[in-house]
Amino acid sequence: MVKAVRGVLIECEPAIKSILVHIDSTHHHEFIIEDLDETHLFVKEAMLHILKQKLEERLKETYRPEEPLEDSD
Amino acid sequence: MSVAQQQSYQLSDYLEKLPGTTFRKLYQQPSTAFAIFRRMLPPLAKVFVQALLYAPAPLLLSELDVWVRPEGKMHRDRALSILRSLHIIQITPPGKDKPQEMQLTTNFRNSMRLALEGGGSHNSFGVPSTLPVDPRIDIAYLDHYARKKWEDILHYIVNSVPVDGETGGGGSSFSGGPKASVKDLLLIGRLVERRPDTRGGVGITQAGFTFLLQEANAQVWTLLLLWLEAADRAKSAAEQAKGPASNAAKSDSIDMLSFLFMLASLELGRAYDTDALTETRRNMLPALVDFGLIYIPREDTRQYFPTRLATTLTSSASALRSVSSGFSAATANNLGDAASLGTTPDSSGASKGSIIIETNYRLYAYTSSPLQIAVLALFTHLNMRFPGMVTGRLTRDSIRRAIGFGITADQIISYLASHAHEQMVRAAAATGRPVLPPTVVDQIRLWQIENERMTTSAGFLFKDFDSLEEYVSLSSYAEEIGVLMWKSDRKRMFYANKIEQLRDYLKSRKKAE
Repeated sequence: MVKAVRGVLIECEPAIKSILVHIDSTHHHEFIIEDLDETHLFVKEAMLHILKQKLEERLKETYRPEEPLEDSD
Repeated sequence: MSVAQQQSYQLSDYLEKLPGTTFRKLYQQPSTAFAIFRRMLPPLAKVFVQALLYAPAPLLLSELDVWVRPEGKMHRDRALSILRSLHIIQITPPGKDKPQEMQLTTNFRNSMRLALEGGGSHNSFGVPSTLPVDPRIDIAYLDHYARKKWEDILHYIVNSVPVDGETGGGGSSFSGGPKASVKDLLLIGRLVERRPDTRGGVGITQAGFTFLLQEANAQVWTLLLLWLEAADRAKSAAEQAKGPASNAAKSDSIDMLSFLFMLASLELGRAYDTDALTETRRNMLPALVDFGLIYIPREDTRQYFPTRLATTLTSSASALRSVSSGFSAATANNLGDAASLGTTPDSSGASKGSIIIETNYRLYAYTSSPLQIAVLALFTHLNMRFPGMVTGRLTRDSIRRAIGFGITADQIISYLASHAHEQMVRAAAATGRPVLPPTVVDQIRLWQIENERMTTSAGFLFKDFDSLEEYVSLSSYAEEIGVLMWKSDRKRMFYANKIEQLRDYLKSRKKAE
């Protein structure tokens, strides 16, 4: 019998996806409902906000964007 | 973050949730049928309706293939799906022995015919007042009035932004503000929320930002729908307290919605009779006055005047970019009219394009409108203010802060483009280049992407199909009606962002079997 499951589809780069999967596996798999393919995940709607926060934290540790050149005012 | 989630409440979302019986009642009013036809349908769907309107017998669904080129199948299916979800057409379920037929639903057809032919005594398009009209109340007066009311509401929302000192010009020239009932509505609709640390005691939410940057027409609808829902809830709560009572609450909200559609069909600058309204509609008048959709003279409450906010409710969604530009377009049309010239609301910078943006991200805005400055401050680092002008820069921080609030890069870009100074527009037209410097546009997008490592959308994953055939038929139907976002043939799963029509499809298939 066909089932329709409610949730949120996430589309992202494979690199980001692997971080998300890692976050999920270190948090008792409470985020991901279904691992769809290389660039897509299906996650619980209620947990999306926390998942995003965890991703932000993880990215902040590694990622330093460059600021475009300042000009004088 | 998905764009779809950030969009604030839209009329189509509201209508989609209504049951078929509600539509049948709504379509009893010619003005409603006509307004839905005007505003909610894509061009192809309009063509279908027009063709079916006077058709003596139902049309075979297969005959549509003759009308629509094979490559337009997508458009056709989407048009049909919209028409069905609005209960404008009926299509017989697919059976083994009979071909599928389609026809307009009875009420819609009858009302649409009445609207076109002008027959009947339904008074659906308003009853003009026969009383003498105060000559001071002309179109310019109504425009000024509506603009004041609406800008008060926008100001209230903008002013709940935590501003850093130098850009906080909004507060000083701000007086009055909307009625308490309107403020409550904004709170209920979560456009603002209570926060003790801000000046007004309220703070703007993500939905509030999206609301601010929307075009005026969408803003008005968002607010009206919030209001309808709040009224619904209040009524059903009252009903429950009294025990299982009648359907009165439901029919009231239908009457309220059709009244809004009727307002949209009225003529600007004309007086209409309040006595001809039903009680439900008369009860709506004070709130509509608070929103600035109608004007009622203090001395004579037997008349009401629809304002531009009301009469443009069902014009095409992109007709008004913002309240002010809409008004300026309107007043420009009336320049020949000497009476309106003197009283035309001062065309401050807000009403014309006023923003100049250079390739080095510097921004100059020729405006003294506190509203526009406050909006600019949402995503610009403003650093100087002169009489009639502010300057600033778009920086990574200012854009990222805006994105953090829930504003999208596209919203910022379209705001800048639609408010660009006419000099920018002229220069761009002369050299054949886009209005905004491409470097700036690209950079704004890049700043957004950098912040958003993923796109998300809420919806439903369909899985565990019994057969491949079942999977193929449902997923291709989902693709046809444009709700399919992802699928995997190998896993026999697909993801759709809406479920209602797929459920109906499954049901009708089960019946056919």
